[in-house]
Amino acid sequence: MTFLQRLRDFLREEVFSLPSRAVVFLACIFLLFLPLFAGNPYQLQVMVLTNLFAIYAASWDLLSGYTGQVSFGHALFFGVSAYSAALLNLRLGWPCWLTIPAGALVAVLTGLLVGVPCLRLRGPYLALATLAFPIILTGIVFAFPETTGGEFGLSGLSRLTPSRVYDYYLSLFLMMGCVFLMWKIANSKIGIILHSIREDEIASRACGINTSRYKLLAFSLSGFFAGLAGSVFAHFMRAVGPLTLDTSISFQAVIWTVFGGITSIYGAVGGVYILYPLLEFFRLAPQLRLLSFAVIVIVVLFFMPEGLLRWVRDRVEVECPRCKKRNTSGRRSCRVCGAPLGG
Amino acid sequence: MNWKLPAAIVIIIALLGVGTYLVMRPSPPFVPGWTGPIPEERVKIGVFGPMEFSQGAHMWHGAVMAAEHINSAGGVRIGDRRVPIELVKVDTNEILSASDAKSAVERAITVDKVDFCIGGFRTESVWGMLETAMDHRKIWLICGSATDELCTQTVPVNYDRYKYLFRVTPIKSTYLFYVSTKLLRTVVEEIRENLGIAEPKVAVLAEKLAWADRIADLATKPYQGFAGTPYENKSLLEASLGVKVVGAWRPSHVATDLTSELTAIKNTGAHIIFTVFSGPVGVTFGRQWGELQVPAAAVGINVEAQKKSYWEETKGYCEYELLMTTYVPGVAIVENLTVPWVEEYMNRYNDYPTYEAGTYDAVFLLAEAITRVGGKENVDAIVAELERTGTRPDLMQTYRNFPDGVGTAGRLLFDNNHDVRWGPGLVTGLGAQWRNGGLVGVHPYEDTAGPLTGLPAFGTYPGTVPYRLPPRVVSYYAR
Amino acid sequence: MIPELIVNGAATGGVFALLAVGFSLIFGVARIINLSHTAFGMLAAYLLYALVTSYGLNFYLSVLLSILLTVLIGTLLYRLCLHPVREHELTVLVISVALGVLIQQVMVQLFGGTFRSLPSFAAGYLEVFGVRVLKGHLLVLGIALLSLLALWLLLTRTKLGIAIRATAQDREMANLVGINVGWICTLTMALALALAALSGTLIGPLITLSPWTWLQLLVVVLAVVVLGGLGSLKGSLIAAFLLGYTETAVVFFVPMGSFLRGVASLTVMLIVLVLRPEGLFGISFEEERL
Repeated sequence: MTFLQRLRDFLREEVFSLPSRAVVFLACIFLLFLPLFAGNPYQLQVMVLTNLFAIYAASWDLLSGYTGQVSFGHALFFGVSAYSAALLNLRLGWPCWLTIPAGALVAVLTGLLVGVPCLRLRGPYLALATLAFPIILTGIVFAFPETTGGEFGLSGLSRLTPSRVYDYYLSLFLMMGCVFLMWKIANSKIGIILHSIREDEIASRACGINTSRYKLLAFSLSGFFAGLAGSVFAHFMRAVGPLTLDTSISFQAVIWTVFGGITSIYGAVGGVYILYPLLEFFRLAPQLRLLSFAVIVIVVLFFMPEGLLRWVRDRVEVECPRCKKRNTSGRRSCRVCGAPLGG
Repeated sequence: MNWKLPAAIVIIIALLGVGTYLVMRPSPPFVPGWTGPIPEERVKIGVFGPMEFSQGAHMWHGAVMAAEHINSAGGVRIGDRRVPIELVKVDTNEILSASDAKSAVERAITVDKVDFCIGGFRTESVWGMLETAMDHRKIWLICGSATDELCTQTVPVNYDRYKYLFRVTPIKSTYLFYVSTKLLRTVVEEIRENLGIAEPKVAVLAEKLAWADRIADLATKPYQGFAGTPYENKSLLEASLGVKVVGAWRPSHVATDLTSELTAIKNTGAHIIFTVFSGPVGVTFGRQWGELQVPAAAVGINVEAQKKSYWEETKGYCEYELLMTTYVPGVAIVENLTVPWVEEYMNRYNDYPTYEAGTYDAVFLLAEAITRVGGKENVDAIVAELERTGTRPDLMQTYRNFPDGVGTAGRLLFDNNHDVRWGPGLVTGLGAQWRNGGLVGVHPYEDTAGPLTGLPAFGTYPGTVPYRLPPRVVSYYAR
Repeated sequence: MIPELIVNGAATGGVFALLAVGFSLIFGVARIINLSHTAFGMLAAYLLYALVTSYGLNFYLSVLLSILLTVLIGTLLYRLCLHPVREHELTVLVISVALGVLIQQVMVQLFGGTFRSLPSFAAGYLEVFGVRVLKGHLLVLGIALLSLLALWLLLTRTKLGIAIRATAQDREMANLVGINVGWICTLTMALALALAALSGTLIGPLITLSPWTWLQLLVVVLAVVVLGGLGSLKGSLIAAFLLGYTETAVVFFVPMGSFLRGVASLTVMLIVLVLRPEGLFGISFEEERL
């Protein structure tokens, strides 16, 4: 079989067999070719930010959706990484391809640092503790203005790439890579363990799983991806300030992910892709911007409390009762095992 | 499938599609004061600020007034053509989000296609906005942020890239400190004369932000330049004014309660509270300082106190507070220009013009430069023309009957960093005191040169009156 | 120094306690996550402002009206938006944040972004132990203690209170026993809203009121209730004063660091949580086993 034939078979069997995968595939194609028909620097700028925030929101989902450790302070990882990248770039002169992973690593360390005291905390207690961390860090930023720039922030970071279009493609490939990785993690054995920790930690421990280790792992992974988004953001904006640690950024992660559908990486990503450009559109009526945002979130969550994209997916796909694989709803038999699907 | 799913999908795609289409269209032209059909060629000036807040509102008001005045007189003269000024209102939301601000600037430049940019308030966001404007080589006149570094770390460091950046208002933080020192001196001299206290005690109450740090440091830390002199171990403020600084309190700029700080200050027996506020904490101060009847005179920087609504917001408790501001009704900084302009502003907008309203002068500056260069495309020539502002006192302006560079707040003159200069005859800043529900100008009033600091003398501006100590301070210390 | 510390600390603690009372009920006892609690308090404050300044109504009448209106609007919004989705915890959370933002933006539209100054119940100051305290602070302290006492009596001595606690502990069992769970939830919400509105009208005159103040207050309130332990009114009271004194101590002993008072409170909360994961007096509920 030629390569083309194999590609066609692959597409037919794996990609287009399910509506959700087809949509993801088409969306990727759309995003890849976006600069051809929407190449205005303003549009590309919005899309770069959307890509970065998609990584950020998905990382929150990994921590709070899958592991059940609801975090209200995710901006901590975003901001810590942004500031680290900025300091390394400005004070030590490191180029971006070094500062970005370095920033992400600092975020991982922060994740561990924060995760350890949070191991014994549950539910609202954990949420509050995580809320406190970025606020405390903001206080530290203001307390040492000679190092951190105080309320002015740090400016003059080196550019990400020489042109806006390259910026866009960098952020796009980064987003695709990270989201794919996170999706793989979520569907792997680690993902199942994280899920079990959320459902019933005591039972999980009874099975011999070292839940503390996995909770810390969740914090670290989540911190890594959020940190990656943060340090790339720093170089894209070429300036970093205390707004990167703001509570609103923490809340945004929650809103985007719950809007799209929690505990499904695609929910977070989809939520960002719908809500962030929507917020941009309201530039035309700035007074109504936040108001409409709030109303849309309330209305959508009222009708679809599980999240918009999860609701859509549950309408177009059903799970086979025998082999648990997903199928297009409306099919009469499972595409994998042939079992009859309920009418 | 029921109706909900296709409806949801259609709604989402429609929203995204229609939204994209709408947001990519430039806004309809707004040419205030222009009569007749709107020509294709316009001078597009983008006003960038947090429009939901008062700072952005003042920026917009000032710009609209200027555009109206110029447009109703025929518009900008380019060669033998007359071109209207079009204003584009850009809500950057910079106080709440730096990325929003950057996107707003990007849209204004690439979609609305503005030719010039004025505005910029919150420094953290201004950095990102600046970079975008400089990338597109657009002239940006800062009207809002006083941070020194916006000019010192850009123009001299990379002139080729940042030469399009100028600051028109306010005067930079360092100058703000000088003016507030002068105000402090007024109060100190009044206390010496009226209460017979030779070395008044000063408590520094400055919000914890980096811009206030410098001022707080100059007020509290021993000044290195005095080592080996009789003033050793004294701070710059202590030595130059002959006061004793009893402590520095640094609340958050959004603090909602200052009663603990005020109680602690009262305990130290301070006669003067030197304030350095730019945020809402200023309103908290005005109200609680008065309500607790703290026996100390309040003087310094309090940006919120510059607004007309401050009296109402503090329920009148702010009376006798002395603060720095740029415009005060009745004080003629420039004869025949400032007073009528302030009056018109107050009639139209029912508020005192704050320093952000200096966009009025910024628009005139641009119109002038465009006319002299003969076009709006040659930005490098316009930059050179802007650099010459205020250096030719014999040259009269095209759009108003005043010499080159003279604006509502004084004569505009730029230094090598493209920053507005401060000094007698230039932009000076004023001192005003709250009395009877309104601001009254008290500085410059018989202002002399500073003894140690070498600060120049500003004399007396028509419309100013002598400063008065709060009566409760007088009665408290008169025993 | 010491009398000042004691008096000012008590004033700050009183403010925190009053803010936390309603939140402790709704979040601590009923476990309904309503992050727009302080936003409703702010709504009441703005309503009071509007009624007094724009309509010139009598002050006490306005206070009553604004509390009533806030309870009405809040309960309505709760039944419409939150009650139908109460099974999904996180969704309730997000919707409540969105409600807070909604209220914030409506206030921005109606009153603008400028700061408003509320008329106060009692203007001026009193001297207590030689320290000047705002009369408003003393009033807040008094009302906070009174309302905490009243709430405690309600929850422990009345049938309604027991019903509320039962519903919070185990919804299904409460339903089985014959308690109208939906109605109790709504009533709890209304009660909490009334307390929030009361705190808004009392504390409003003491702070600089703007449409964005609710977020600052929310962090404080969350810290107090979590530190005290969910489900414990006594805990909330003690935590309120603990944090109030922490903040006042920071201002008095580290004047250069008085901007860190909020951070100090949160740090104290974190330290306590690390040592006692359920807060000071938290009642831990058995996780639901499916």
